Amino acid sequence: MQELVQTKKEVYPYNPTWCPGCGDFAIWASIKKGIEGTGSPREKIAIFYDVGCSGDMADFLAYWGFHTLHGRALPTAVGAKLANHDLKVVIVIGDGGCYGEGGTHFLNLMRGNHDITVIVHNNHRYSLTTGQMSPTTDKGTKTKSTPEGSVEEPLNPIAISLTNHASFVAREFAPDIPRLAQRITEGIGHIGFSIIDVLQPCPVFNPVQNHEWYRQRMVKLEELGHNPNDRKAAWNQVMRDDDKLPIGLFFQESKPAYHEQVSELSQSPLVNHSIETVNLSALIKEFE
Amino acid sequence: MDRDNIVWKVAGAAGEGIMSTGLLFSKTCARHGWYIFDYTEYPSLITGGHNTYQVHAAKHPVFSQNLNVDVLAAINKDGLDFHLEELAANSVVLYDGQDDSINISEYRIKGKAIDLPMVELARDVGGKELMGNNVALGASIYLFGLDLNLLEEVISDVFGDKGKEVVDLNKKAASIGFQYMAQKTRPILKVEKQPDVKHLTLTGNEAVCLGALAGGLQFYAAYPMTPSSSVLHYLAACAKKTPTQIVVKHAEDEISAANMACGAAFAGTRAMVGTSGGGFCYMVEALGLCGVAELPVVFFEAMRPGPALGLPTWTAQGDLNFVLSASHGEFPRFVLAPGDAQEAFDIAKKSMELAEKYQTPVILLSDKYLAESRHTFKLDQTVFQNARFGLDFNPQIDDSGFYPRYELTDTGISKRSIPGFGWGPHLANSYTHTKYGLSSEESSDRKNQVDKRFRKMDLMTGEIPPQFWDVDLDAKITFISFGSTKGSLLAAKQILKKDNIPVSILNLSWLWPFPKDQVKKVIESSRNVVVIEGNYLGQLAGLIAQETGVMIKERYHRFDGRPFYPEEIVTFVKNFKA
Ligand SMILES: Cc1ncc(C[n+]2csc(CCOP(=O)(O)OP(=O)(O)O)c2C)c(N)n1
Repeated sequence: MQELVQTKKEVYPYNPTWCPGCGDFAIWASIKKGIEGTGSPREKIAIFYDVGCSGDMADFLAYWGFHTLHGRALPTAVGAKLANHDLKVVIVIGDGGCYGEGGTHFLNLMRGNHDITVIVHNNHRYSLTTGQMSPTTDKGTKTKSTPEGSVEEPLNPIAISLTNHASFVAREFAPDIPRLAQRITEGIGHIGFSIIDVLQPCPVFNPVQNHEWYRQRMVKLEELGHNPNDRKAAWNQVMRDDDKLPIGLFFQESKPAYHEQVSELSQSPLVNHSIETVNLSALIKEFE
Repeated sequence: MDRDNIVWKVAGAAGEGIMSTGLLFSKTCARHGWYIFDYTEYPSLITGGHNTYQVHAAKHPVFSQNLNVDVLAAINKDGLDFHLEELAANSVVLYDGQDDSINISEYRIKGKAIDLPMVELARDVGGKELMGNNVALGASIYLFGLDLNLLEEVISDVFGDKGKEVVDLNKKAASIGFQYMAQKTRPILKVEKQPDVKHLTLTGNEAVCLGALAGGLQFYAAYPMTPSSSVLHYLAACAKKTPTQIVVKHAEDEISAANMACGAAFAGTRAMVGTSGGGFCYMVEALGLCGVAELPVVFFEAMRPGPALGLPTWTAQGDLNFVLSASHGEFPRFVLAPGDAQEAFDIAKKSMELAEKYQTPVILLSDKYLAESRHTFKLDQTVFQNARFGLDFNPQIDDSGFYPRYELTDTGISKRSIPGFGWGPHLANSYTHTKYGLSSEESSDRKNQVDKRFRKMDLMTGEIPPQFWDVDLDAKITFISFGSTKGSLLAAKQILKKDNIPVSILNLSWLWPFPKDQVKKVIESSRNVVVIEGNYLGQLAGLIAQETGVMIKERYHRFDGRPFYPEEIVTFVKNFKA
C-alpha cells in the first residue's frame, strides 16, 4: 500500500484549518480513500484545487497539486490533462467556484467530455469569504449579501449535467465517507467527465441545512431501483415533486474522452514528445 | 518607366475575394524574385464594407506600404472614390465602365483610366461576377510586364485543393484580362524575373507561428479575436502537419485559454496563448498566476485600437503600458515586440525558450499592422534545436515528503519536478508559498519568495540582444520606435536617402527588461531624438523617461488606426525644426 504522506506537520505549521463540524473533513478523508481505491500509482495523480475553504485542502494532501485561481480549477486541470493524459486528474472545488465564478468552464468543458473528476463541495454558500449566497442557495435565504433573502432560484447542477452531456453524474453526502470514497474511486476510474456534487454541511454559515436536515430528505438511488444508464429516469429523480433528495449515481455512459478524439494524442502524451529537434520543412512550401 | 519598385492596389467590397486576389498578386511578384510588403485594410464586417489590399514589390528589400499607387484595380465605385488621392501622373486605374454607378467623366483622375469590362469578361469565360477580380488581376500582371505563367503557377498552388475546375476558371479569368489589356495598351514596366532568388512571403502572424513551432511550442489555446485569430487558424490547420506533436484548443473564453496554458505548462509542455487587447484583459489574472507559480507561458498579444472593442481590424500600439504592468502585484516578465516578420520568427522562437529558462511569463507583443501584413522572409535552415531548462525528471523529495520546487537559489531559478515523472510532489500555488509551494502567510516566506523571483531579473537583463540600430553619423534626427514602426521608418529612410537627408533609427524589440544602456547611449550620441509610436499618450517615451531619466519632448504619434506612412514621415523630417 502506498503511503499517503501526512508529514505536513514539519513543513506546514498547522493541520486542516476548517471549522469544527465542517463537511470538508469528511470529503478530505473520502478523497484520500477514494484515490487509494483506484490503485493508481501516486505519481500519476494530479489534484487541482479551486480557491475556497474546500480548496484549502491543497495544503493537506501530499500529491502533485495546483492551487489555481478562483473558478479556474477546471480549465487548469484540462490543460494539464491534455499535456499529459497519463495523469489521473481530480478537481476539488466549491459550489461558488464551479457553478458561479467558473460556470462557463463547467458548462463547456463538460461538453468536451474531458477526462477529469470534479468533486464539488456544495455547501450552498461562499464560505471562505464568510457566508454570502452561492449559486445553489435556495431562493429567499438570508445571507450576508442577501439580508432580505436571495432573489435567484437555485442552480441545479445535476439537472444541468444530465442535460449537458456529462458522462458520469453523481451526488453524495459528505459525512458518509465509505460511500463517497467509493464514488470517487468510480469517478476517477470513469473515462470522461465525471461530476460528483457533494452535499456538504457548513455549520457556521449554513446552520439550517445540517446533518439532520439532509438525513430527513435523502434517499439512495439504488434503493429506488434506479438504472444509471437511463438518462430520462435520472432526470425524473432529480426533478422529483416531493422534498426527497436522491443521492447516488444518477447517470453514466461510456463514450470517448476529449483526449481520445485528438489524433495528435493517439500515440503518446504530449509531454513525452521530444521538442529537441524541430523540422519545419513540411510547412515551408505554402509560403513560396 | 524605369523603376525597380511597384505599388499595386486592389479595392472593392469586403467578402468579394479582395484578399485572395491580393495574395495571388503578391506571391506572383515574390516568384519573380522580388521583395514584397503587402498590407490589407478591411472593416470589421464579413460582407459589404470596403476592402483593400496593397502590394509593394521591389528588386531591393521593401519595408512598408506606400501612399502612392502605380496601378489601382478598382473593383467597384468605392474602389475609385476612396483612392483617387493615391494616384500620381503616371498611375493607371482599371475600372469597369459597364458598372452603371460609375460615370467616369465625373472624375478628375491623375494618370490614366482604363475601362476593363471585368464582369463581362469573367462571364465570357464561364465565371461568376466575383471572378471580375481575377480579370483585373490578369490585366495588372500585363501592365507591370509580369510573367503570366508564374501567376498561373501561383493559382495552381493556392487553389490546388479546391479542385481543377476552380483552378482552371481562375486561370482563364486572369488570362482573358491579360489578353484584353494586351490589345488595348502597352505595359508600363517590364518586371524581370531575378535568377536564382527564392523568397518566402509570410505575415507577421504566420512568422509567429513558425517561430513558436521552431521553439518547441506544444500547446496553444486561444479564443478568436482579430488580429490574433489567424494564429489560431494556422496552428489548428497545421497541427497534423507539424513534425512535433501540438495540441491546439479553442477554449470557451480567454480566461479558460490562459488557465489551460498554465495547466499545460505545469505538466511540462511548452505553452502559448494568443489574443488581442480585449482578450488579454481576461487573461491578466492568469498572467499573474504564471508570475507567482513560476509557470512558463507565452502570451501573444496582437494590438488593435482600444479601449473596449475599439477598431477591430485596424492597427495601434496603445497597449504597451498595459502589458508592462498587467496584473496586480509584482513579478518579473519579458515584454518583446518584433518589428517585422523576420524578427517575429526569431523572437517567437526565443520567447518559448525564455519562458522555460526563467519560469516566468513572456508577452509577445504585435499589432494588426505586423500581424496581417505580408513580408519577404528568409529561412536559412529548416531544422531547429531546442535545449530544455530546469526540468527535473529524477526528483528527490526531502524530509518533508515534498519536492523543494521553489528552493531559494542565487539566480532565483529553481528546478521543476513534473507530475507523472518520478516522485516529486509539490504545489503550484496561486497563494504566497513556501519552497514546497505550500501556502504560507509568514513574513519571511513572502519576502524570500518575492526576492527570489526578482533575482531572475539579473540574468534576464543579460539576455537583452543589441537592438535594431540603423545609424547615420550625420543624422539630423534619430527616431526611437518599437515593434512594427520599424518598417515605415526604414521605408522613409530609403526615400530620404535619395534627397541626401540622413536619419538614424533605434527600433526596440525588447521592452522589458528594458535595454536601458543601449537607449541611453543612443540618446546621448544623437543630435535630435524623436519618439515615434502608434498611441496618444507617448507610452514608449514615458518608458524611456522612467528607465533613463531622459524625457524626450519631440514626439510623433498616430492613433487613428492607420500605420505610419513613409511619405508622411519624410514630410515630418523635412519640416522638422530643432
Ligand atoms: C477572482 C476572485 N474573486 C473573488 C475571490 C474571493 N473568493 C475566494 S473563495 C470565494 C468563494 C468561495 O466559495 P466556494 O467556491 O463555494 O467555496 P467554499 O469556500 O464554500 O468551499 C471567493 C468569492 C477570489 N479569490 N478571486
